[in-house]
Amino acid sequence: MGNFLFEQTVNGVITGSTYALIAAGMTMIFGVLRAINFAHGEYYMLGTFAAWVAISKLEVSYLASIVLGVAMAALIAAAIGRLVMQRLVGAPFQAGVLATIGISLILQNAVILAFGGGYKVFEGGWIAPVEFFGIGMAQQRIVIVVSAVLVFGGLEWMVRKTRMGKSIRAVSQNIECCQVNGIDVESVVRRTFLLGTALAALSGVLTAPVNVSVYGGMGEAITLKTFAVIVMGGMGNVRGTLYAGILLGIVESLVSGLIGLQYRDSVGFIALLLMLMLRPHGLFSQKARF
Amino acid sequence: MAITLDTPQAPNPRLPAFQWGTAGLALAALALAPLVLDSYYLHALIIAMVFLLPAHGLNLILGYTGMLSLAQGVFFGIGAYASALLATRFGTPFVFNLAAAGAIAAFIALPLGIPALRLRTTSFVMCTLGFVVIAQMVAKNWVDLTRGDMGLSGVPRPKIGVGDATWAVTQIPQYFYLILVVAVLATLAFIALIRSPAGRCMVAIRDNETLAESLGIPTWRYKLIVFMLSAAFAGLGGSLYAHYETVVSPLVFQMYYSNTILIIVLGGGVGRVPGAVIGSFLFVAVTEALRVAPELRMLMYGFVLLVLVFMFPQGLAPLVERVTEWLSRGGSKPVAPQEKSR
Repeated sequence: MGNFLFEQTVNGVITGSTYALIAAGMTMIFGVLRAINFAHGEYYMLGTFAAWVAISKLEVSYLASIVLGVAMAALIAAAIGRLVMQRLVGAPFQAGVLATIGISLILQNAVILAFGGGYKVFEGGWIAPVEFFGIGMAQQRIVIVVSAVLVFGGLEWMVRKTRMGKSIRAVSQNIECCQVNGIDVESVVRRTFLLGTALAALSGVLTAPVNVSVYGGMGEAITLKTFAVIVMGGMGNVRGTLYAGILLGIVESLVSGLIGLQYRDSVGFIALLLMLMLRPHGLFSQKARF
Repeated sequence: MAITLDTPQAPNPRLPAFQWGTAGLALAALALAPLVLDSYYLHALIIAMVFLLPAHGLNLILGYTGMLSLAQGVFFGIGAYASALLATRFGTPFVFNLAAAGAIAAFIALPLGIPALRLRTTSFVMCTLGFVVIAQMVAKNWVDLTRGDMGLSGVPRPKIGVGDATWAVTQIPQYFYLILVVAVLATLAFIALIRSPAGRCMVAIRDNETLAESLGIPTWRYKLIVFMLSAAFAGLGGSLYAHYETVVSPLVFQMYYSNTILIIVLGGGVGRVPGAVIGSFLFVAVTEALRVAPELRMLMYGFVLLVLVFMFPQGLAPLVERVTEWLSRGGSKPVAPQEKSR
């Protein structure tokens, strides 16, 4: 039993770090735009799909498919950032909700129309098993955790030290002041959006060898889980998102192991509802930001 | 994008009569439709009228209290399941099922609304989206009640009346008239509601909740009642859908339904009665009649949403209103725009 719990927890940490990777982007976009990106999961799907196309049609290696998948999703996100997201600066909340729902519908259904709605098998990744404290797991899972740690370390450094990170924090705090001081708010929004969606795409490509199946509607469930993570972490709080993602992953993994697999996806929702009702500022933030 | 809207005050005394006249003509044209259209086009119109009911519900909650709810599809599905279960398990008559579906949807909306309505803006939207996922999961996993993915089939076709005076609805034109009657009654009920003192209170809450509360309007109770009423409208639509399709499965809880309802209301024009009517015929009847594939339809809805947000934040109803206003003046005087800066 003890070993079983340990195994479930380790699996939870791994799943949780992919949630954290996706949610970090969404929480940063919320920070600068004050808008929830209802299409966030679609960039996860786009990254995975582009990598699947690269592997199954172009027959490139998995490593190259990571680069191609993220680049493809980033290219599409760059266009959407310019055409849609930067125009949401200062718009009322309904505009953000409706525009991103619109983008989600466009991306999801365009992919389904282009590649069909069925499930595809993702063939790639480092799936050779390794032993880790008595638990056998695919190498890919180690890669996921290491990537998450590296990305969050990098994000923390970027947000604190670089000019881009400082302008992200400034825009999160006061858009008018930034405009007065000559910060190009729209450019910050565009770049944050690009970074956030690229992280979602990276998470998609990294998870694909573990989840195996790829399909056009896969982003929807991810978007909804990401809501739970960013609310738990505290909206706009990048480090809180990492803890929250891992927490959600562990709880989900324990619920699916102890109660039943079909209840796994309900954990995120129950967490989301409870958080919104009881602690809308999140578990890891001091003051209400939302 | 200003979702809250001011209905333009009609300076022209002939306008209301003209609007009712236009509505009457449109209704007469619809009533005569079965004489000229074949059953596929009638089917498209039926689906549009079925979607009109949850759209009225969303119009009520979004246009008259300013809450953007994605849960209309949930109550639509609950109405469909409630009706199908009553009819298949207990053999209750259609009219009873219809009323019960509305009541059950409203009843389920109460415990969902109490926590959800404490949230505002984006949190409320995320919460209602959560309801959609929970509803999908319940419909798939509560197999004893819903038969899971197999769904409920063999929902009986409606029979109205008792004894010898029974009218059995089996043909498409009969369905058309049945659903037309229900849709017209629901639209009239909606108009009566928003013109009542309660309707004015709702508008007051939408425009300034704090002020409304200071005037003694019980805002919390009103919001809860509006949420339940919007669920009741959706439940009625779901019941009609179940008795028309005769099959209900967890697919009714897909985002497809909530998104379609959203497009109808936003595209037509939020907070305007003709908005939902125009929206449902334009976005549902036309796409259904042209046999657009569901994925392509959703793709188009996505573009429609972007166009609405950035170009027509008030939907199409204001354009139509301008035209009717102009026509009712006999096409003489130009009308000054009545946008109010907010």
